[in-house]
Amino acid sequence: MPETIDCNTMTRMLRGAAAEIREQHEMLSRLDSVGGDGDHGTTMLRAMANLEKAIDASAAPGLKPLLYDVGWAILGVDGGATGPLLGTLFMSMSEALEGKDAPNPAEMAAAFEAGLAGVQAQTKAQVGDKTMIDALVPAVAALRTSVNGGSDIVDALRRAAEAAEQGAAATRELQARFGRARNIKEKSIGTQDPGATSVSLMFKGFWKGAETHA
Amino acid sequence: MAMKKLINDPANLVPELLEGFALANAGKVALQGSNLVVRTSPKSKDKVALVTLGGSGHEPALSGFVGEGMLDISVPGEIFAAPGPPRVIEALRLANREAGVLLIVLNHAGDIMSAKIAMDMAKKEGLNVKQVLTHEDISSGSRENPDDRRGLVGCLAVIKAAGAAAEQGHSLDECLAIAERMERNMATLAVAVSGATHPCTGDVIAEIPEDVMVVGMGQHGEAGGGTQSLKTADETADIMLPVLLEDIQAKPGDELLVMLNGVGSTTLMELYLVLRRIKQILEGKGITLARSLVGEYLTVQEMGGFQMCVARLDEELKALWDAPSNAPALTVK
Repeated sequence: MPETIDCNTMTRMLRGAAAEIREQHEMLSRLDSVGGDGDHGTTMLRAMANLEKAIDASAAPGLKPLLYDVGWAILGVDGGATGPLLGTLFMSMSEALEGKDAPNPAEMAAAFEAGLAGVQAQTKAQVGDKTMIDALVPAVAALRTSVNGGSDIVDALRRAAEAAEQGAAATRELQARFGRARNIKEKSIGTQDPGATSVSLMFKGFWKGAETHA
Repeated sequence: MAMKKLINDPANLVPELLEGFALANAGKVALQGSNLVVRTSPKSKDKVALVTLGGSGHEPALSGFVGEGMLDISVPGEIFAAPGPPRVIEALRLANREAGVLLIVLNHAGDIMSAKIAMDMAKKEGLNVKQVLTHEDISSGSRENPDDRRGLVGCLAVIKAAGAAAEQGHSLDECLAIAERMERNMATLAVAVSGATHPCTGDVIAEIPEDVMVVGMGQHGEAGGGTQSLKTADETADIMLPVLLEDIQAKPGDELLVMLNGVGSTTLMELYLVLRRIKQILEGKGITLARSLVGEYLTVQEMGGFQMCVARLDEELKALWDAPSNAPALTVK
């Protein structure tokens, strides 16, 4: 029987992401103090609070409406670019899950790819520009590769989380070319990008959340 | 630099400041829905509505520009952070009318994204909305790369001109064309002499050594250009004005609007000295200082310094600039 991802698993994944962010929000704000204004951690805390509220309030059963509600709630965080980007990730995943209430790992990977495409429609940032894209792109690619190689969803998410963590760590050596940190130019080198770090933490949470279910 | 501000719980800062702002300007503006700033006496439905969005912490901008002759609705975000798309689309739905809605967006990453998502939704819903982007900071990009140019205090001139045009009954396309013409003909450069702190995090958002000024600093402390020794008012004007004039290719006979926007702790006294020098320079070049505006319009907390904005006016733009407004931050009788 093929393994599928149901609402229950997704809820655990999302709550896992919220838990990771909550644990590390002070670190995220510290990273943001270098190139931004030191509020990324509190913005992410608000985003995750909205995410959990949306899970609790989501009346309609099904992955598609769940991810839609979560995406809309995160869009509602008045926190600059963070809300639109992360919100779009979930909204676009939701759209891709039309008619798929219990997607298999391959369909889940496709949903993440659609989420990434949605984010990329919002920003011209590429890998190497020191943004959340530096974690999101390798995470989604690793997810796809693992799934194609026959991994189950937990294993695929673990690999995605590892790739996101490496991608986020690599931003330390990069100079910011997008967002507010762009303006401090070479002074941005030496600090890991807070947005990429958030994405890496969220994927770690997705993996941990999925694992507790398994 | 230790933060020294009279605030309450940082988590409630924005709703509290909006409540106070509405109280201070009761009879002109009010809060509606999810903390949208609206006029108390709405414009008639047969006229184009103007909406803008942007982070808080820059008071009186942008909500101070809500009023008869200027904006219909502003969507204030968190401190230095754009509001999310849900409140922007809420404002567009509220403003929607047959005559149309003009959304004015300052070029900052978060504002652009929220506006884009809201505009996509507005299109799907069949709302009649068009967008104008203000990006006139010459320190952050060349005229050939307008995407890199940030939106600074020049938005005020765009809102004033388009707002007056809307009030006079111009169509949405006409209002948009007027807004774009003002935008194309203006340029802004900022100078910072002392830093500021983020009121919620206490983070220093710009640290500037005692004897130094930074030309080309954006409204969140982003460095954009030349760090140099502190100069006199005249010397500062001598440095800043020529590059602005070059950017808009000002020629003898041109008539200019010059706005000097104090960003928080620079005194009016200093700004008047700078304006005096600007007039001298312009006279030497045969350019007319047709209109000027000096004061605090778009601030960055306690930052010291100012934004210098020049805009070339034609007869129509001049008349629109002179048209009445009762917005709290810019009253024109």
